[in-house]
Amino acid sequence: MGNSANKPELIIDGRRLDGRTPEQLRQIKITANPIRNAAGSAFIEWGNNKILAAVYGPREALPKHTQDPNRAVIKCRYTMAPFSSLEEHGRPGMNRRAIEISKVTREVFENVILTDLFPGNEISIFIEVLQSDGGTRAAGITCASVALAASGIPMRDMPFAVSVGKASDTLIIDMNKIEDNYSNADMPVAINPRTKEINLLQMDGELTPEEVHRGLEMIQKAGETITKIQREALKAPYEKVNEKYKASI
Amino acid sequence: MKKIVLPGDIIADKPLRLDHTIVEEGKTCSTVIGMFDEAAGSLIPLEGLWYPQPGEKIVGIVEEAKLNTDVITLNAPYKGLIISKFSETSMVNGDIIEATVKELDKTGTIILVRPRVLYGGKVLAIKPSKVPRLLGKNDTMIRQITDGTKASISVGMNGLVWVKGGNSDLATDAIIRIQEESHVSGLTERIAKMVGSTGQPHQPQPQQQG
Amino acid sequence: MNISTITEQYIRERLTKGVRENGRGMMSFRDINLEIGKIPNAEGSAEINLGNTKVLVGIKMDVGEPMRDKPDEGSIMTGAELLPLAHHSYDAGPPSAEAVELARVVDRGIRAANIIDVKKLFIEEGKSWNVFIDLYVLNYDGNLFDSATLAAVAALYNSRMPKYEGEKVIREGNLEKLPIGNLATSCTYAKVAGTTVLDTDGSEEDFADVRMTISNDEKHVRAMQKGLGGAFTPGEVDKLVEASFEKSKELRKIIQGTRGD
Repeated sequence: MGNSANKPELIIDGRRLDGRTPEQLRQIKITANPIRNAAGSAFIEWGNNKILAAVYGPREALPKHTQDPNRAVIKCRYTMAPFSSLEEHGRPGMNRRAIEISKVTREVFENVILTDLFPGNEISIFIEVLQSDGGTRAAGITCASVALAASGIPMRDMPFAVSVGKASDTLIIDMNKIEDNYSNADMPVAINPRTKEINLLQMDGELTPEEVHRGLEMIQKAGETITKIQREALKAPYEKVNEKYKASI
Repeated sequence: MKKIVLPGDIIADKPLRLDHTIVEEGKTCSTVIGMFDEAAGSLIPLEGLWYPQPGEKIVGIVEEAKLNTDVITLNAPYKGLIISKFSETSMVNGDIIEATVKELDKTGTIILVRPRVLYGGKVLAIKPSKVPRLLGKNDTMIRQITDGTKASISVGMNGLVWVKGGNSDLATDAIIRIQEESHVSGLTERIAKMVGSTGQPHQPQPQQQG
Repeated sequence: MNISTITEQYIRERLTKGVRENGRGMMSFRDINLEIGKIPNAEGSAEINLGNTKVLVGIKMDVGEPMRDKPDEGSIMTGAELLPLAHHSYDAGPPSAEAVELARVVDRGIRAANIIDVKKLFIEEGKSWNVFIDLYVLNYDGNLFDSATLAAVAALYNSRMPKYEGEKVIREGNLEKLPIGNLATSCTYAKVAGTTVLDTDGSEEDFADVRMTISNDEKHVRAMQKGLGGAFTPGEVDKLVEASFEKSKELRKIIQGTRGD
C-alpha cells in the first residue's frame, strides 16, 4: 500500500488532504449504551471510523485457571469486521495485529480499573471495528473508556487516546488512513486526563527527541477536546430524560 | 447543588471518607458515574454494581443445594453461601429465596442468613444502582406499587426483584420505568398515576393467531 | 440453575394464556427498523433492529476465480459472526455450529431465490466477482434468521457494483447498482409451550421446542429449515407456508421502501 513512488503530498499550504490543519482532530461523535445486553457499551464515529465497544462483567472468570483470587482479570478483544475497509474483503477474527492491539488496550485499562474490588471475576472488553479509516486503536480505547464508565465499573480515571504522526517535517495529530500509509512516523498514545499518566505509547518511523516531546504536548491538547466529547456522551442520556419531563413538570 | 460526576473527577481538594471514591495525592476523586451532592456530602452511583453490606436483604436463586451448604446465584460478581446447619429452611436447586447478608469474605463470597423460599412468581433483574429508588424513602415507592397492583414483591439489594400475583404485569412495567427514570424528579407522582388507586386494570389484550 | 428457569415458567404461563411481551400477537413481528448504508466503505450495508436484536450486514465484492462447476457466474460467500459483545454466552473463537447454520440458511434463501443475478457477475474467462455477505450479530434477542435475511437482502438491494478496469477494482465514484434478480424474505416460527409463534424474542427462544424457517418470494418457497429437537406435522407445515406468503408481503414492502427508485 505505502508506495513511495506515487506518494501524495500530505500537506499543502499548511492544510492536509482533508482540509484539516496539523493540530485539528477529525469530527468525533460518541453514543453511550447502544448494546442492550452489555453491562456498558459505546459507539464512536471518529472521522470515517465506526467502532463499537461493549463491556461484560464483572462476572466469574472462566475458564477457572484464569481467575486471580486477589483481583478481577481484564480480558480484551479488538477485531475488525471483514467489510470494514475500502479495500478487499478481510478475514474475520484475530490476526497478529489484532492480538497485539488487544493486549496493549487491556494494559491501558488494567491501570485504571479498581480490579481489587472483584476477586475471582473477569471484566471483558470487546472492541469491534465496523469501519476503519486509520487510528482505530486510539478510537477503540477512547470508546471502550466510555463503555466502562457507562457500566459503572469503578475507575481511577477515564483515559482517552489519539495518535500523532509526521508528514514531511510537520507533526500532525490524528492521522487518517492515507496519512498513516505515507507518513514518516506514527505514535498512538493513551493518557489519563486527571493524572496525566501515559497508559499506552507505541511509535514507529522516525522522530527527534524534540518531536516526541512536542507530539506528546499536541496529544494532551487534543485530549481536552476528546475528553469533553466522552463526558458529554455519558451525561447526555440523563439530561435527555430530564428534557422529556421538563414540559410536564 | 447536585451534579453528575464521572470516573476521575476531583470532588474535593482534601481526603474524604466517601463510598465510590479514592484519595490520590490528598484529593478525593470519584470512581464512577454518579450524582454528587456537595452539601449533603453524598455520591450516588448512576450505573452499575452492588457492594454488599451486612444486614442487606437479597433475592437469589439456589444454584447448588448441598448437604452442608447451599450456593446461591445473586446475579452479581459474588456468590452467596448459606451454611445449612444454621438454617432450618430446606431448599432445592432452582428455588427463589430471599435472605440477609451476614458478611462478605475476601474471596468474594457472601455468607447469607435467614433464608426464606419464595414460591411461584417471576424474577426481574434491574440495575443494583436503581434499587434505592425502587424502594423509595422509607419504602414509600415500593409500597405504592404493591398497594396499586396488589402484587407481592420482594426487592433484593443485589438487583433481583421477585414479583407474584395481583397485576404483576403492571408492577413489572412500573419497576422497569423506575429503573429508566430514576434520577428524574417527579417520579413518585408519575408512578402513583401509573399504578393508580383508580383500580384501572392493565392487562395486555390476548390476541388470536393469524 | 439460573434466572432463565424462572423466566421459563413465566413465559409458559403467559403463552398458555395467549399473551406475549408488549401485547404482541402470536403471528406478529416485533418493530422492524432498517438502516441502509451505515458502512460506506463496504459495497453495501444494512443494520436491522428487530425488537432488541441488532444485526449489521456488510457486502464486499472482490475479483476472483469463478467456481469450477459454474465458470460463467459470480460466486456468493456468506459468513456469520456471533460476536462476543452481542450476548454474555457468545464466546470468541471459531464459528459455532449455531453461527454456521445461520450463515448457511441465510445463504440458501438468497441463492435459491436468485436475489443476486450471478450471470451478470462474470467478467472474463477465469475471472468473476465474488460477493461476500457478512452477518454481524451485535445484540442478541432472538430470531437471528429473519433479521439476518432481511438485513442481507436490504444490503444487497442497495449495494453498488464496483468496476474492474485495467486489472484494478474501482469501488468509489459513479457506480451502478448490484444487479438484483428477485426479492425474497424469511419467516421463522417456533413452538413454545405448545403454542406456535412468529419471531421469537430471546427468552421465548430459550424455551422453544422446535423451529421452522421458511424463505419465499412472491410465488415460490425458496428455502426451508427445521431446527431444534421437536417436530411439526405436515398439516402444521402447510399452515406455516401459507402464513409466510401473507407475512412476506409486508417484509418485501419494507425492503422496497429502502430504495428511492
